[in-house]
Amino acid sequence: MLRRDFLKYSAAGAGLLLAGPRVAFAAPGVLDIFFNSDTNVIDFWTQVVKPGFEAAHSGVTLNLVPGGGGSGINTLADRAYAAFQAKKDPQVDILEAAYPFYPAGSLEAGLWVDFSKSGLANYDKVNPVVVQSPALLPYRGSQVVLMYNSDKVKDVPTTFADLAKWIKANPGQFTYSRPDLGDSGACFIERALQEVTGQKPELFLPDNYTEGYAKPMFEKLWPLLKDIQPSLFNGGEYTSGNTASIQLLASGAVTMTVAWSDMALQAMSQGVVPDTTAVAQLQDLAFTGGFSGIIVPSVAGNKDTALKLADYLVSPEVQNHVVTDLGGFPGIKWEFLSKELQDKFAKVAPKSIPVFPGNWEPALFEAWYRNVASDIKR
Amino acid sequence: MSAAAMSLRNGWRGLAFIAIPVTAIAIFLFYPAALSIIGTLVRPKDGGGYTFSLQSYVFFFTDSYSLTNLGRTLWTTVVTLILLIAVNLPIALYMRFTKGPLASVIQALALFPMFVPGIIICYALIRYMGPNGWLQSLLNLVGFHHYASPHLTPWGPVIGLIWDGMPLTLLILISGLSNISDASIEAARDVGAGRLRILVSIITPEITHSLLIVSALNFLGIFGQALMPFMLGPTNPEMMGPFMLRTFSSVRDPLQASTQATITFLICSLAGIAYVRSISRRPKEDRT
Repeated sequence: MLRRDFLKYSAAGAGLLLAGPRVAFAAPGVLDIFFNSDTNVIDFWTQVVKPGFEAAHSGVTLNLVPGGGGSGINTLADRAYAAFQAKKDPQVDILEAAYPFYPAGSLEAGLWVDFSKSGLANYDKVNPVVVQSPALLPYRGSQVVLMYNSDKVKDVPTTFADLAKWIKANPGQFTYSRPDLGDSGACFIERALQEVTGQKPELFLPDNYTEGYAKPMFEKLWPLLKDIQPSLFNGGEYTSGNTASIQLLASGAVTMTVAWSDMALQAMSQGVVPDTTAVAQLQDLAFTGGFSGIIVPSVAGNKDTALKLADYLVSPEVQNHVVTDLGGFPGIKWEFLSKELQDKFAKVAPKSIPVFPGNWEPALFEAWYRNVASDIKR
Repeated sequence: MSAAAMSLRNGWRGLAFIAIPVTAIAIFLFYPAALSIIGTLVRPKDGGGYTFSLQSYVFFFTDSYSLTNLGRTLWTTVVTLILLIAVNLPIALYMRFTKGPLASVIQALALFPMFVPGIIICYALIRYMGPNGWLQSLLNLVGFHHYASPHLTPWGPVIGLIWDGMPLTLLILISGLSNISDASIEAARDVGAGRLRILVSIITPEITHSLLIVSALNFLGIFGQALMPFMLGPTNPEMMGPFMLRTFSSVRDPLQASTQATITFLICSLAGIAYVRSISRRPKEDRT
């Protein structure tokens, strides 16, 4: 390249860099989608959702952006709320795996689009069991399972009480992740909470958390968790996330842990864990699962296109891929999936997945750190 | 043009040069930091208006959980700092007084961590020193079976932070040592000083500044660290970095998180003051 050309192009490049973000945001056909989920989900969008949607809607481009974890997504939600109050375009079209309950008051103020009233053609197909709020469109689910080495565990526990007994009978062979760092650990604690309160998931609802209501139940939980703590890995140590738990299982440092079904299946199919690894679910009351959904700010610049994408996301076409490509549960009722998948998953398709409401979690996790983790003896 | 006017004009020109970075710092650093600090002291009152309150600080300093975390952070910082200097000073001395290919290799090795991102180091360290990791397997091979992995113990982040802090520490110590003239050392040798005497009486006084700078900069870097303690450290006690992050994003308590941040900031500013004093005193001494 001639030197003059080089200068010309680099000047143009610098100009683009400066103007770039603004141009991209202002472009009508570019949907800005921010992800809270891990890279396997972004891969799924890149390979399935993006090509399918862009082919059907010419001139539309999906801009898939990793959102930088919970606090990053919260910052974007804050930005959307501020823009909403100022009646401006927040430059956020969709937040993935986020909840419409943050920032406090935003749902009531009308920041998030109500999908039930947005005329989505496929909305009737969505499984009502997994809808936490009409402003949150669930499109993929997964469930926490026991992940263990079947070489060493011949009789896998089928109830939570048996699991607690197994943990104490096999000191150092089990661990779960810190609840704020890995949802698999959070679900373990939540299942334990359901255990000490008589296996009644209906006690925990998105709108019934108060300190006075929750505290007596939490008080029953701590003795159970403290009781098994000395029998956990390394005398009471918790991993720093979902992947870290699977790593400990892979290195043989523990024999059993809890993991997300999709991550467990992926680890097994990629061979990062020993061949003898297996998964199991509790039979008395399953571990809580979770559904990830999308939320759309009502002031989003590309709201109409975002809603078209939302409709596409809960179409049987994409939902079939959620099961086959992502190892997840569909957000729509199983009867709308392909016949082949219905037959294949007839036995494991859960009738209901206990969901633990997200707004109970901040208080539960903080109390766990103060009551359980601070009690580790060294 | 008089000399005074000239120097005045240069002064303005100098100010113009620093205006952009100073403004940027003021807008992007001082202003939000001040907002956040003021926010911990001045709270909105029920029914409108504002009131001055130290409540969040009272909570922090009466809460044994928070204090334990602060104590753990200080412990990790001090232990890491001592070990960093203990490891790097001999290497720096070796490299000051040795020339040749071996010294170059050692220098390259010691500076290598600078080019590896922290998160990669964390995962590599977990694989290496974690339970049933390479180190344990190697030790087993030579018949040592009592390895207790430092992963997820307070020593985990110490090891990670030493890895991370080595290049900077070494570079500063080497630059400090290079200021010592060969002549002064030879002079000492001529009058019969032994190696230890040279180290204590000639070298140590010359590198006190470098040691101060190394300590202050590493203190700042280690005290607020979030990644290493959170990847390699125990669940509890937490270091201030992960504690602040968790309070902000998981507990969703921005007030307490900014209180923790302000306390961290105040402690770090002590190291900052030591650093600034140390570099601002330097030129005066050089002039004398």
